[in-house]
Parts: sequence; C-alpha cells; structure tokens
Amino acid sequence: MTEIAIERDDAQRMGFFTDTTVCIGCKACEVACKQWNDLPSDGGTFRKGGSYDSTGRLSGNTWRHVRFVELADAGGGVQPDEMPDLVATAAGNGSTIDVEAAVAAFDNWVFMSDVCKHCTNAGCLDACPTGALIRTEFETVVLQPDVCNGCGYCVPACPFGVVDRAPEDGRAGKCTLCYDRLEDGLEPACAKACPTDSIQFGPYDELVDVAERRVAALHARGVEGAYLYGAADAPEQQLAGGLGAFFLLTEKPERYGLPAQAESPIQENVVPATLAAMGAGLLAAAGVAAAFLWEKSR
Amino acid sequence: MSREFRPAIGTPASPDFGERSGEKVDLHIGQWKDGRWSYLFGDDTEYRTPPTQVPDIEAIREAAREAREGELPDVVQGPVINAPVWTWEVPLYFWFGGIAAGSSFVALACDLAGDEDSARVARNVALAALMPSPPLLILDLGRPERFYNMLRIFKPRSPMSLGAWALSAFGGLAAAAVGADLLGRRREAKLLGGANAIVGGYLGSYTGVLLASTAVPVWGRSRLFLGPIFVSTAAATGAAATRLALVATGLPVGHPTRRALGTVETAAMSAELILSVINERRLGPLASGLEHGRPGKLFKAAKWAVRAGLGLRFARKRGGPGVHHVASLLYLAAGLMFRYAWVGAGRVSARDDRAVAEMHRAETHGT
Repeated sequence: MTEIAIERDDAQRMGFFTDTTVCIGCKACEVACKQWNDLPSDGGTFRKGGSYDSTGRLSGNTWRHVRFVELADAGGGVQPDEMPDLVATAAGNGSTIDVEAAVAAFDNWVFMSDVCKHCTNAGCLDACPTGALIRTEFETVVLQPDVCNGCGYCVPACPFGVVDRAPEDGRAGKCTLCYDRLEDGLEPACAKACPTDSIQFGPYDELVDVAERRVAALHARGVEGAYLYGAADAPEQQLAGGLGAFFLLTEKPERYGLPAQAESPIQENVVPATLAAMGAGLLAAAGVAAAFLWEKSR
Repeated sequence: MSREFRPAIGTPASPDFGERSGEKVDLHIGQWKDGRWSYLFGDDTEYRTPPTQVPDIEAIREAAREAREGELPDVVQGPVINAPVWTWEVPLYFWFGGIAAGSSFVALACDLAGDEDSARVARNVALAALMPSPPLLILDLGRPERFYNMLRIFKPRSPMSLGAWALSAFGGLAAAAVGADLLGRRREAKLLGGANAIVGGYLGSYTGVLLASTAVPVWGRSRLFLGPIFVSTAAATGAAATRLALVATGLPVGHPTRRALGTVETAAMSAELILSVINERRLGPLASGLEHGRPGKLFKAAKWAVRAGLGLRFARKRGGPGVHHVASLLYLAAGLMFRYAWVGAGRVSARDDRAVAEMHRAETHGT
C-alpha cells in the first residue's frame, strides 16, 4: 500500500523531540504556533476545582497544547478541593493563595507540550478519502487545506486525539511541523520559541541519538522512570511504526493522555473487518436467494 | 540596511505565484543550524551523556516497556482521542444506504426466482432509498461545496473513499436499471440490477468497516462484528421496505415473493439481534458507549423493537396480514435506531478516557 507522498532526494526525515523534564509550562510554543499559523483561540477558561490547564486538548485550532499533569497527591491525581480558587483570588474576594505552599507544589507538576506525532503509520493519512492529507519530503504528515472537504474521518482515525475539525472553519486542522518554514530552512515556530529547548527540532536520526543520551544521563542521575515515548523501541514495541515527534516522559503515558500502544486503526482493522463484512454479505445474498427459491418451489 | 520581508514564493497574482522563486530569503539558513542544539545542550553541559559514551539501548527500551506495560494507572488524564464529529445525517444515510443495498439483493433474488414484476418494484425501492443519501452525506461535510473532492482520488485503503465510489456506482446502476425498466428492456434491467446487487454488497457493509477502522474502542473492538451487523440491518430493512412497497402495489397474500420477504426480514433481523447481543457481552467495559446515555437507550429500544417484531411475526396467524405489516415497520424503525445507536455510541466511547486507555493497555498484554 503506497501513500500520497512528495519525494525529494536531498530531504531527510525531520521531527520533534519534546523533553518534558525541562518544560516549564510557559506556553510560548502554543502562542508561537497560533501566531505563525494564524489560528484562532479555542476560548480557554480556568475552571474552579479543575485543572490549571486552560487549553484542554489539541484541536483543529490548537496544534500545540501544553498539558499540565498535576500530581498533587502523588499518583492519585488532583482532588478538586486542593486547587485554589483562581477566579475568586483574581476578583479579590474569598480565598488567597498560600505562595509558599504553591511554590513547594511545583515539584508535583509535570508539563508536556503535546503535538501531532507525525506517525510512520498515520491513521489520519490512511483514512483521508480526498487526498488532502499527504506525506511530505520531510516524512511529516501535512493537511492541504485547499483540498480538505471536512468529511471528519481523520478525527476518530487518529489514535492520539490530534487532528480535529475546526467548527467555524469546517475543515480539519493539525500541526504541519511548520512545513512552510521547513521549506525555507527555518525551524518550526514552537521549537524556535521554546525558552528551555524542551522542544527540540532536527533531523530524526540525530534527535533519537540525543534523546537516548538524555535518557541515559537521567538514568545515571537516578531518574529511573525516564523513558522515551515513540522512539528507540524494538520493532514489536513501536507506536504507530515509530513517531516523528516523540517525547521523554517520567510518568505512565496515560497520565499525559497518551495511549500505551497505538497503531493506525486502518492498517490494523480494515482487512479483517472487510473480510468479515464480505463473508457476511455473501452469506446474506445466499440466504436471500435461498429463501426465494425455497418459497417458489413450495 | 532595511529588513527584507519578501516571501520565498512569487508575488501573489503574478504568473509565477505558487512556484519557488529560486532566490533565498534573508532568513534562509540552508540547514537547520539553530535547530541543531542550542548552547544549553552543547557538549559542555550535563544535559546528555557525551558522544564518547555509548548509551545502553536495552536499558532505554526496558524503561519504555516498564511504563507502557502492566496495569493502567489510577488516573487517566484525558482526552486521549478526539470524539467523532459526525452528526444526525450520517446514521440516517447509513439507514437509507442499507435499505438501498438490501433492496438490490431482493431485486436480484426476485429475478432469479422468476418474479420480474416484483424485481422491478425492488429496483424502484433501491433507487428511491438511494436518492436521499448523497445530499445527507454532503450536508454532513464541513465544507459541503467541496463534496466532489470525494471522487478526487481512488484510495483502496480508505473505506470512505471506496464507499464514495461505491455510492456513485450504485446510484448510476440503480438509475440505469430503473430507466431500462421504464423503456421496457427487461434483459438490460436484469443485468444492471444484478451488477447493482454486487455493488450493493459493498454499499451495505462498508459503513461497518468504516466505523471499525477507527481508534474508538466500541467501534474498533467490534471490527469482526460491525460488518456482519450492518449487512444484516441492510438485508432486513431492504426486505421490509420492499415488502411494504409490494403490498402497496397489490401483491396478494400468500404470494411466494411476499412470503420469502417475510422470511428474509425476520431471519436478518434475528441475526442482527443475536450478533449485537454477543458483541455487547464480548466487549465488556468497552461497550460503555452502547449502554449509557442516549445511544444506550436507543440501542435498548432497537433490541426491543426487534423482539416485538419477531413476536408479531409468529402471532400473525391470529391477527391477519395487518399484524405482519406492523412487524415490517418495527424492523425498519429498529434498523434506524440501531444506526443512530452505533454512531452515537462512538461519541460516548471516545469520551470514555478509561475505556480508550484500557483498550491500548490490553494490547500490550497481547490480548
């Protein structure tokens, strides 16, 4: 099965390596992404008793999302009454924040700048019926907005919850790894803006090498839970054939809203499902014909 | 020196717009130099192990295995996947498309059994049921005016691409078959109808394959059942619709075609009910979408409508033929409710973060 792809001899696979251990949750990447790609706001809100994460999720208009993983009661997640009421504090009535406690609690926060994974086996790319989603010469997955007709099939076909249909636009939208900037030799806007280089951009092979060395350094320093999500796996362990944008994590993947295993649902299911459907179709056709012939001969 | 803001591509509205100008812009750096590690991650920092050391790849893989295998953590901080965006048009299309496909089976069977008049009616039903389908699908698009892009490419691996082509082929064949009937060309109508039954086999089942080929737990984990369930619904609703149409055109009680259609609709609906119940039991917690909320209620109502129809079918001897018409209507209603329940269940299931995470954990256990 071949993909719709752009080929160029001098291009190589490019990707992101997002190191969550140095992310400070500043959201500069979100802002840079919105600015460069001219994306509207999704209308973030602070919810009392909810998360400090005002973005919530990746969507058709949000292509970078800094996920706040709040570990307030180690492993048990945040209880609603443990969160100060930011809305009331800002309005100057009611609760005040204990600054010392809040600073101490920074230890219990993990941030992760989530983005399209640019999978080797991309579910969205397999699903797209119009050919709007293509593989570029940098082996990234890019959606052509002038082709997309908003059928919405890529949305449930993505095992990572990345691509979504923008309601006011009608078309699907997701990270392009700044395809336009790459063509001019610029790094993507989010990586450029990241003040701690938590988001690193570069040729895929070099990134994997740096990531492996980073994990080794963390292990040597006693951070034994550090691991790579989406790269350096053994072939049978790979996520969707390997991720072009991979992560260094310290908690279980589900804490970041990531699946423990992933594959393009099309490549996984379409053949068995079609065989079952065709078998049933033949049975049904034979059954209908048999009923008619039997009634006729009666 | 003034800064240069010229884009790397030609001037808009000029003949070379959209082509590379060949000139490098000011910011062009040829290589991703600044992406190639900032001072923070230079060899003089402790960010990573130095290039002289070889990192232990097995230890790195083992750390990933440890995090990704075993039990699900207590907290799943979703959303893991995005919920499908399809609205009411899609299940309604599934229902109409199923009726069209089922009627094309019936038309072929009528021809095989030598009942040409009923075959003609069945072909009319197939065309009539197909007519609302393209408008419904176009309405559901985010950009309806670009519907023609569905036929921009032929992509065998995408069920939606194949479905769009199958729908077009089915529409053309169904219209041609009805046209041949109108012109009185029986032989051509039979041939076109036969060809349409083959396309109908795909049209009636691909919708199940389409839903199964997603990351939504309740759909993806029903991959071997969705196709057969959708085919059963198609056969049952197609037979029920054709049966009612034939009755309306005056087919007498006890006519073999009428009896055969009664058998087909009942058998297909029973198959659908049995498959649905087995699948629901098999899915366990992943079936949450079919059990809760509005889709859960619809699913339950659909199952009861089938049971009521089956009951009426066997009580028919006492109630006369009218009771059987009620059964046909119940099957049609059950088919419609099943369609809405299945599509709605996907939304509920996709938002059930625990179910989504659990599905992928189960994969790492090899089950």
